[in-house]
Amino acid sequence: MSIHFEKVDYIYSPNSVFEFQALEDVSLDINMGKITAIIGATGSGKTTLVQHLNGLLLPSKGFLTVNDFTIKADEKPKNIKELRKQVGLVFQFAEYQLFEETLIKDVSFGPKNFGVKEKEAEMIAARALVTVGIDPKDFVKSPLELSGGQKRRVAIAGILAMSPSILVLDEPTAGLDPQGAKSMMELFKMLNKEKGITILIVTHNMEHVLEYCDEVVVLEKGQVIMHTDKKQFFKNDKYMEKASIDPPIIIAFKKKCEEYGVTFDSDILTIDNLVSEIVKKRGKR
Amino acid sequence: MNNITLGKYIPLNSFVHKLDPRTKIIAMMILLIAIFIPAGFVGYGIIGIFLLISLISSKLSFSFVWKSFKPSLFMLVFLLIINMFIIKTGDVWLTIGSFNLYSGAVIQTVYIVLRLLLMIVITTMLTATTKPLDLTMGLEDLLSPLAKLNVPTHDIAMMISLALRFIPTLLEEAQRILKAQASRGVDMESGSFKEKIQAILSLIVPLFVSSFQKADDLADAMEARGYVVGAKRVRYKKLKFTFFDFITLVSVSGLLVGLILLKVL
Repeated sequence: MSIHFEKVDYIYSPNSVFEFQALEDVSLDINMGKITAIIGATGSGKTTLVQHLNGLLLPSKGFLTVNDFTIKADEKPKNIKELRKQVGLVFQFAEYQLFEETLIKDVSFGPKNFGVKEKEAEMIAARALVTVGIDPKDFVKSPLELSGGQKRRVAIAGILAMSPSILVLDEPTAGLDPQGAKSMMELFKMLNKEKGITILIVTHNMEHVLEYCDEVVVLEKGQVIMHTDKKQFFKNDKYMEKASIDPPIIIAFKKKCEEYGVTFDSDILTIDNLVSEIVKKRGKR
Repeated sequence: MNNITLGKYIPLNSFVHKLDPRTKIIAMMILLIAIFIPAGFVGYGIIGIFLLISLISSKLSFSFVWKSFKPSLFMLVFLLIINMFIIKTGDVWLTIGSFNLYSGAVIQTVYIVLRLLLMIVITTMLTATTKPLDLTMGLEDLLSPLAKLNVPTHDIAMMISLALRFIPTLLEEAQRILKAQASRGVDMESGSFKEKIQAILSLIVPLFVSSFQKADDLADAMEARGYVVGAKRVRYKKLKFTFFDFITLVSVSGLLVGLILLKVL
């Protein structure tokens, strides 16, 4: 079980005026069983990168291996369906992919495509819908009757129903209210902890990276410029400034304190730790 | 999907790009008429050379035009087969059993192919070298005499430009949904008939829903910026008819007259 990129280039519309190199010489190893955040400015190649993982895009140069599959230039991997079953990819604004009359039918669409019988598929779908927090009463509703956040959940259930071992999420919380976004992230954390699913999240939200992710991959102009664990990443605030990434509030707070001569251990990344540290420091005085 | 060239504007800096859109629309219509003057292979040769020169001066690549032509290949093969069986004029060129291939059938088909090819080159050149907005302005200007007869020329022009504007957007959207459904195991290429229908449904339904949503949003955005249906609008950009436009129109008209003379004489 592994995800490995080897010198992957990707070029959109090659040999035309619209030619655009989205990925350049990307070599990358994703650690399994972890939650990895993929960050970078808009247009840095995040979406292009993740669409390679289930063979939607094939590298223009180089190759990548995902579990037992090899994805290389100009050649569709054999048994691509199996690959797509193992790597669940949730698109940006995934709610636009819903099309069936009822939620349960829509979510069971995935498993049915992979050859599961109708009855069994509906059972799997029901379980997936419960996992993402949809009320069983609503299973027979039309997707159009739901709110945006709920639709997004249903779309994610549609992917979970395929029981992937790798879950890739492209900006899963974009356009959701803070509460909805938070519970969405909790859901992913739960899936990672309880089912051991490897999760890759494309995100712009540094608070989410700090709170929920284990590792961080930073893309800039199609190149991986950093791949490190979360603690290391947030220690490096000079880098964040350079890449114009807004640091999470707790990092910003610590930084401000440092300007006034109060320093904290760089391992402190949660409010609880920070508060107890402050209390400790006060006690010493 | 990315290879669809239909109605795509290619931003280049060329003589043809700089022409007034009205000139290009009129020139296109004259050329389309010229194609239907039965001046034989000599006529098509003349039009072909003319288009070749314009194509080179527009800096568009030949592969781009070829891509626009490719989708109609299937239809042409179909036409050839039908023609072979139906048309029975001219000399017999080939006999297989009781089937005779007449020269008329082949010549007719070649004519159709040539006509279609020329038409595609002309229309592709128009849309590829003219921004959709300019195209609308040109159309609106050309239609303006009809406004006196209470024809809603502006609305028609606006509708055409919106339709053109949304071709790439819809293609992009379709591609996105295709990918999303492919991630759920949809296989557009293989599978039984029933599965294929299901696969197409999984594309069409979301595409419809999002198109209606986009149309609503667009209407709101237009109203928010003060667009009123039927209201009189003024323009920021004015179309300018230059010396080059004059030359273009004269040469295109010359071509048409020449072809008519060729036919008559």
